[in-house]
Amino acid sequence: MIFVIAEHKDNKLKSITSELLVFAQRAGRDFGQPVSAVVLGENTTSLAEELKSKKIDRVVTIDDPQLAEYNPDAYVEALKSLCEKEPPFLVLIGHTTQGMDFAPRLSVALRRPLIAGCVEYEKQGDRLILTRQIFNAKMNMKTAVRGEPPYFATASPGAFPGDEVEAGGSAEIVPFSVSLTAPGRRKLIERVEAPKGKADLSSAPIIVSGGRGLKEKENFSLIFELAEAIGGSVGASRPVVDAEWLPREYQIGSSGQTVSPKLYIAIGISGAIQHLVGMQTSRCIVAINKDVEAPIFKVAHYGIVDDLFKVVPALTRIFKDLRQA
Amino acid sequence: MKIVSCIKPVPDPASRLAINETKTWIKDQDLTFVASEADNYAIEEALRLKEKHGGEVVVISMGGEESARVLRSGLAMGADRAIHLRDPKFKGADEFAAADALATAIAKDGGADLVLAGVQSDDLGTGMTGTMIAEFLGSAHATVVVGVEANPESKSLRVRRELEGGINETIELPMPAVLTIQFGINQPRYASLKGIMAAKKKEMKVWSAADLGLSDEAAGKAGAMYEVKEIFVPERKSKVEIIGGSPEDAAAALVEKLKKEAKVL
Repeated sequence: MIFVIAEHKDNKLKSITSELLVFAQRAGRDFGQPVSAVVLGENTTSLAEELKSKKIDRVVTIDDPQLAEYNPDAYVEALKSLCEKEPPFLVLIGHTTQGMDFAPRLSVALRRPLIAGCVEYEKQGDRLILTRQIFNAKMNMKTAVRGEPPYFATASPGAFPGDEVEAGGSAEIVPFSVSLTAPGRRKLIERVEAPKGKADLSSAPIIVSGGRGLKEKENFSLIFELAEAIGGSVGASRPVVDAEWLPREYQIGSSGQTVSPKLYIAIGISGAIQHLVGMQTSRCIVAINKDVEAPIFKVAHYGIVDDLFKVVPALTRIFKDLRQA
Repeated sequence: MKIVSCIKPVPDPASRLAINETKTWIKDQDLTFVASEADNYAIEEALRLKEKHGGEVVVISMGGEESARVLRSGLAMGADRAIHLRDPKFKGADEFAAADALATAIAKDGGADLVLAGVQSDDLGTGMTGTMIAEFLGSAHATVVVGVEANPESKSLRVRRELEGGINETIELPMPAVLTIQFGINQPRYASLKGIMAAKKKEMKVWSAADLGLSDEAAGKAGAMYEVKEIFVPERKSKVEIIGGSPEDAAAALVEKLKKEAKVL
């Protein structure tokens, strides 16, 4: 059995859940394992119905008032109990803030392997080989899990094509009851959305984004000048925001804004996985960077491998001329 | 408050990495090692909490000479003492085996009110070790922390976590706890000359696997949950078209392509 731990928010499945289902459907076929979606929460009926429409074998619901809000203690206790009662072959979890908040605890609680941030899997004989990214996505690592199942894996967002999930199943909904021993130790006080204000990049058609390659705050004016000449908005990578060159609302990436403009120009951005997650669905991606091995070139359509301090002013001049023409 | 801050030595980000002969790791003999970047934010946060509430900051690391080096820089920043887990048997540890050894050492040292670790390392980068330490210690935890307020009297913490899509949440949890610290939570200080001199007189405990009571099956590669099959540079998925020439020519050619090929202008 392969378990997919469904991630959801506001009674809607998150996109990572479809990606995990694609992973599970493929691996299930290769390893001859049925697939179950597991949904934890309170009043999970509508989520279970939605999962049931996919081509999987079962939907396991774990319904409990203590699971109404995500908390790692309850998640670990409930999933540990499920995995002990019906030991699965593989448990797939999103490599998301939530998934990575409980998956490592679950792995230690059961003393079983967790391979985090997987982007691919393969079958070698009967062995499960999982590939993940290391050194900020500059290299990949193939790992073989050791010992007996269950094995745990988290999948990187975007690694599996969620729109290829196969529908048309007749999965049975199976409630699994747990008696959670104690309320979780974590208490939610409040949840706030980051201010978006004038740097709302989600609907910008063109974004010119700068990174650490600009070396210092003053040089960021190059990005603003190009953005103005091209008629686009300005974005930034995390190190730029951490160094306080720009406020947080300019940040693009998994912990900032997710964008998909028609044109994204990444300047002096190496392309850490967290940044790539936030912009890789842009229609056309241009990367300007000195380091030809920078991961940004893996998602870019056009690249210029040169000194940005020479290329960017040249680009700005061309766009200014075009405007005047 | 006793705060333990975990530090992982990683190759200096400026180094050029090459894959070793067995393709199982990088060639690390000639590299310079520094503290993984996120760990610097964790040490800084530990020092600030100590400045506010008193107590001590202990830095801990597992590895060879490279660990001694990052521990010394932690001491120079202001940590009170260090614990160095040093034993050839620790070599080849994965996150699970590392978390097991670190948690065992923290417990042997008398436990801690707070354990801090970087949100993820610059090498494996999976962000597992801190959370695994919490499970080994049986303490509460919070990941991706961007703000910490401690209340030593009530043994509780109020922390701000960063979730996807620019959402932040504030949660309360009891101490002892393990927190994984996100980049940018503070501005890590540099070690002063005075700090570097003072660091030389500070205590550095060196513990082996036997000192921790870890069996040969639990330490390092033997205690790892997975086996590294191969390290490789991934092939590019999208074929990027590199535009050559002088900066002026490349810029002009790019604009042409954006207009005529990609049709995005």
